Amino acid sequence: MHAFILAGGFATRLWPLTEKRAKPLLPLAGKPIITHLIEKIPSGMPITVSTNAAFADGFKQWLDGLQRSGMELVVEGTSRDDHKLGALGSIAEWVRAESIDDDLLILTGDNYLGFSMETFLKAFSGNPLLAAHDVGDLERAKAFGVVIKGEGTRVTGFEEKPKSPSSTLVSTGCVIIPKSALPVLMEFAKVKPDNLGGIFEEFLHRNMTVDCFIFSEPWMDIGSFGSYLHAHRELIGEQALVDPDATIKETTVRGSVTVGRNCMIERSELTDCMIFDNVTIRDCTLRDCVIDDGCILQGIDLRKQMLRTGTKLIVDG
Amino acid sequence: MRRPLLLFLWLATDYLLFLGVYAFAYFQRVGWILSSDLPFRNFMTAVALSGVPWLAGLVITRTFSLTRRQRTPRNAAYIGCAAILGVALVTTVYFFLFQRVFSRELLLTAFVLSAFATWAWHMVFGLLMRMTLRSGLPSFPTLIVGVTRESRHLIDLLQKRQSVLKPVAILDASGIKEREIAGVPVKGKLDKLEEILREFRITHIIQCSDLEQSINLLSACRARGITYMLLPSVMGIVERDERVESLEGKAVTVVSPESGWWNWFFR
Repeated sequence: MHAFILAGGFATRLWPLTEKRAKPLLPLAGKPIITHLIEKIPSGMPITVSTNAAFADGFKQWLDGLQRSGMELVVEGTSRDDHKLGALGSIAEWVRAESIDDDLLILTGDNYLGFSMETFLKAFSGNPLLAAHDVGDLERAKAFGVVIKGEGTRVTGFEEKPKSPSSTLVSTGCVIIPKSALPVLMEFAKVKPDNLGGIFEEFLHRNMTVDCFIFSEPWMDIGSFGSYLHAHRELIGEQALVDPDATIKETTVRGSVTVGRNCMIERSELTDCMIFDNVTIRDCTLRDCVIDDGCILQGIDLRKQMLRTGTKLIVDG
Repeated sequence: MRRPLLLFLWLATDYLLFLGVYAFAYFQRVGWILSSDLPFRNFMTAVALSGVPWLAGLVITRTFSLTRRQRTPRNAAYIGCAAILGVALVTTVYFFLFQRVFSRELLLTAFVLSAFATWAWHMVFGLLMRMTLRSGLPSFPTLIVGVTRESRHLIDLLQKRQSVLKPVAILDASGIKEREIAGVPVKGKLDKLEEILREFRITHIIQCSDLEQSINLLSACRARGITYMLLPSVMGIVERDERVESLEGKAVTVVSPESGWWNWFFR
């Protein structure tokens, strides 16, 4: 089996954090989101990460720092959101270019999966398999691919972002496509290259058996500022993760807080914040904020803000 | 370079206009002769010396500011005030130099002529400046952030009135389907910001929505020396009388409740 991680999005909703780095490379609990995924994949399995030209350098650097063999980076030619190949399109392009004839474990690079990948892989019986999670709320389910389960592990229906969901069970961006189903994928990708969930509708339409793996462990789809902060709170809990190179003096820390390398924080209050590297904060009260690299903040209170790299907000007096 | 050159030209022509208007007023009141009671040379010396502080008065009231619309009554009022200042300066300087005062009618004529002639010239020059600064590569390429009813109206207005701030690109945080608005291309979402700032050499950003991104837009502006502007409607201010004032030395944006015009003096 070969793992393929989709990391070609432009993550416009997380601007400005994604101005110079891809969403899967955003830090979460001390390491990039995508690293959490990589660590779950069995060590012998080859992994291909697909990204776009705009973020290729960031991924190359990330790969250089990873202690793992069998990793490969595929770069789509596009550097624009409206020129993307689409999720399915990029898989199909890679399968065609590399003449892949193997079962595929496909993962979306901006998801955090709490379950054991080995258990998921064991559930694969040769049919297309998708990991499904019960979000427990029909309203929430509208934003995802909704899975309708039959007897046992069989999937009887799939609805991509339905207006009236029939179930609260949703697909989580972790699927296995057996090599026998690759011709269908290649064919479908020509018609709907951006519809990854749609391939399961197509399988069912062709009377193919589709299985689902239902898990109750945490799953986080990091697509917005709110969901990024939520994932951070879920993973960190009520504690502060402070890099050993950071300095914190006379500062109150509440909730979930991470502080990156070479930060200097003095006389401040931080509640549920992510402070990236090389940030200086003095006399500030920050709540629900993500502060990108190299920011300098002094004498200012902020709530629910994402600050771009190098922002200087210095209030005297 | 066009703007500094035009500004220099504007100041120079204003100064010459001031001299010309006072000379015309002199001959208008004294007659087309050179009076020995009020020597033309002495009079024009006082006018020449007064012209510089008169120009300073216009500068202080920001009459030459880039975005000032010359035809507005408020601008006319500022020019009127400068004309009063001009008359007062000429009288005072003349008295200091020659220990004499002169015709009140002459002063009145000079005041009326300098006020109206300056206003008229400013309207003409303002128009010429707009046309010059927008022609070819615009001197002040402007990025509009956020597509709203207000921003559409603003783009329309900037285009129709040939504003010196020429909208060259539009970004919208949530993305819109339209490819252009009033001839200005929609270039995508905010992730394109850096690219657009570089590509179009943006000098001004006007934020028309997405208040939560103000800090980041300001950060980009500070980093690149770009002027940042914000439509008050982004903050829900639609009264049209918003102003920045000082509260114990701290700048605050003020929106007052509706009241009679006379209350303006006591706000």
